[in-house]
Amino acid sequence: MLQRGAVLSLLPVAERILASPAAALAAPNLADGTLQAFADTLIPGKRVTRTDLGNEVHAKAIAGAHPEPGAVQADALLLYHHPLIGFDVVEAAFLADLEARSLLRLGQFIDLPFAKRVEVCLEGLSPSNPTAQVWELAAAVPFAAFLCTATQKNATIDKSSGLQVTGHPGIAPNGYADFSYRRALSSERTATGSLP
Amino acid sequence: MKVDVCIVGSGFGGSISAFRLAELYRAAGQEPSILVLERGQRHLHTDFRQSMDIELLSRLYGLVQGLGAQIVLGDGVGGSSNLYLAASLRSPSQTFERRDHRPDDGPDRRIWPSQISRAALNPYYARAEQALRVQRPTWNQVSKSGGLWAATLAAAGHTCDRVPQAIDLNRCVQAKWCHTGCIFGAKNSVMTNYLASAEQLGVEVRPNSEAELILQSAARPYRYIVTAANIGDSRQPTGQTFQVECKVLILAAGAMGNPPLLMRSRPTLPALSGRVGKHLGVNGDHIAAVEYDERKVRDVLGLPGYGQFYKGNHITTMSYDWWKGPDGTRFTLQEIFLSNLAHALYDDGRAPSSEPTWWGLQKKEALSTFNNHIEILAMVEDTHDGEFLAPPPTGSHVRPNAGPVGIGPFTYQLSDQSVAVREAANQAIKSVVERNGLARYMKPTYRSVSAAHPLGGCRMADSKDFGVVDHRNEVFGYEGLFCMDSSSIPTSLGVNPSLTISAVAERACEQLIARADGYGLPARPAGFRPGVPGVMIGPHVVPHRATSDAAIDAKVRSYG
Repeated sequence: MLQRGAVLSLLPVAERILASPAAALAAPNLADGTLQAFADTLIPGKRVTRTDLGNEVHAKAIAGAHPEPGAVQADALLLYHHPLIGFDVVEAAFLADLEARSLLRLGQFIDLPFAKRVEVCLEGLSPSNPTAQVWELAAAVPFAAFLCTATQKNATIDKSSGLQVTGHPGIAPNGYADFSYRRALSSERTATGSLP
Repeated sequence: MKVDVCIVGSGFGGSISAFRLAELYRAAGQEPSILVLERGQRHLHTDFRQSMDIELLSRLYGLVQGLGAQIVLGDGVGGSSNLYLAASLRSPSQTFERRDHRPDDGPDRRIWPSQISRAALNPYYARAEQALRVQRPTWNQVSKSGGLWAATLAAAGHTCDRVPQAIDLNRCVQAKWCHTGCIFGAKNSVMTNYLASAEQLGVEVRPNSEAELILQSAARPYRYIVTAANIGDSRQPTGQTFQVECKVLILAAGAMGNPPLLMRSRPTLPALSGRVGKHLGVNGDHIAAVEYDERKVRDVLGLPGYGQFYKGNHITTMSYDWWKGPDGTRFTLQEIFLSNLAHALYDDGRAPSSEPTWWGLQKKEALSTFNNHIEILAMVEDTHDGEFLAPPPTGSHVRPNAGPVGIGPFTYQLSDQSVAVREAANQAIKSVVERNGLARYMKPTYRSVSAAHPLGGCRMADSKDFGVVDHRNEVFGYEGLFCMDSSSIPTSLGVNPSLTISAVAERACEQLIARADGYGLPARPAGFRPGVPGVMIGPHVVPHRATSDAAIDAKVRSYG
């Protein structure tokens, strides 16, 4: 079984060699699918085939552990490869560690059930892992994609699943009228707002 | 090129010193000979967006990852004032009386220089408040999230105060988008007052120019030569450099900028204090969140619901009730909205409390209730636990690309005292918000210190043995060389630091101007009085003020 796992662990490399860059966004290869699966473990979501921006989702990436949209739908993969993020520099090292830990659970990360994916990520993000900082960087990307809609300029709730789930309207070009309870709600300790 | 005064950095410290010295030149009937070098780009209000897309963040922000901490920086002309949340508070008296008990820091003594106290700073606080047009909101101008914090505290028998803000509350439309720059020009960042007025008086501001090295000049009255690099569109040095020779050199590149610059220059400034790069602090920032049960908001607090964290100003209320007890145990608790990304800093607050706490299914559940959250910034009295290592070859941190994320050569390990006071803050928040099942506390995860308020690294002190600059912000041993910004602040402040940085800079400028002729600058004319910078907003978006939020509120709720 271990031998089978070792062979499978080489597949991401092989697929990357075969895949052309132009095809990467159209149909995620195994490495990109694995990044999507990692993002889905951190911010889980419902199964979809396309992201908010219309990019394809690897068929095995989303475990379907949560009924609302997750980080994959919020275009985490696009952000992983954004030149202003710089994740590409550490991607190979990150995936190697991720797949090595998956191998001990008898499969590639993308083939593991959600609970096993969680185990792998707990190990990788543990402070005891010497490469935990690389994992933290890898973890920051889905959070930025989902919470900040970092792949969309001037995002609104209409087209951002992250904003839909968190209940944030996005831009507010005219501000808000009903923003205050408009009454004193506590006694105050100072006369000016600052302590003496 | 030669100028009288070279200023490195254009945030609060740099802008205040540029304006005050320009006033001196004009009062003396002279054209200012003042150059401001700014690493970042120039921004107009119309360059800002209500967006956290990666391209905008790359232009405005730096996120510097060190060992044990990540520090958020403002990048661009105006520095962090473009991005600050504008809470403008005077630090409590006790701050300036704090003592250093740590044996490796020398004998037990007062940390701040003997000349600096709250009373001594009060006139300068007032001057900064006037320049930054600080206003205290009425209760009608307190956000719902801030009001909810006040009501929560009141229900638990505590007080909660409205927070003064450097915001024109008549112009502000309460959009809660201060953190990527105010598109409306309602926030009083220095580009609308100090810096704009300095430029109007004749100060030259040169963007995309990063100071790399300081040499001493032998050609008196010139004292220093700054070597600076041009920064290109990729935010990397282009390879072109230039030199500026000056009589007075004011470093205002911030707590993350000044220490590496001085450390790199140590071979040519050999008498610098051994404290350069030490005592880096984060103002005791400790960021947590509270998830409310909206039904309990109605039943327990008698408020008409919530679910609108996205509205109103970022900071409107805070409590001082835990600002008591001995040195090193005090903290304040302030309601804040940092940015949507702050979610990643705290746990899910759900049982079981075992890992994972900040990601995974339970965290997803917590993210789904965002609009019923508030965030709490505890500002605790910590021990400034960071230290710079060797400086990078250029700049203050390594930028691998044109994006916001960089690697900083510093370490940050919380001391036992810093951990203990943070734990006390956790307990205080939890005890208040979880009464009667009102809300759930979501505490910071501690996996790394995260802060937007770096302080110190060139701290002020009574002597070179304990700090880098004196009470006038002049570097020990180097006449005419100043650190006039956050890097000089030696302790956490218990409040957001911009106003104290400004007050300290105002005081330092007054001290410098009093001795200006000794530095080869124009002598202070008889009767010279500092004025108030004008307000120059520049191009901005004019909103169609919302009269009803019903449609957008309904849309938010429609997504569950």
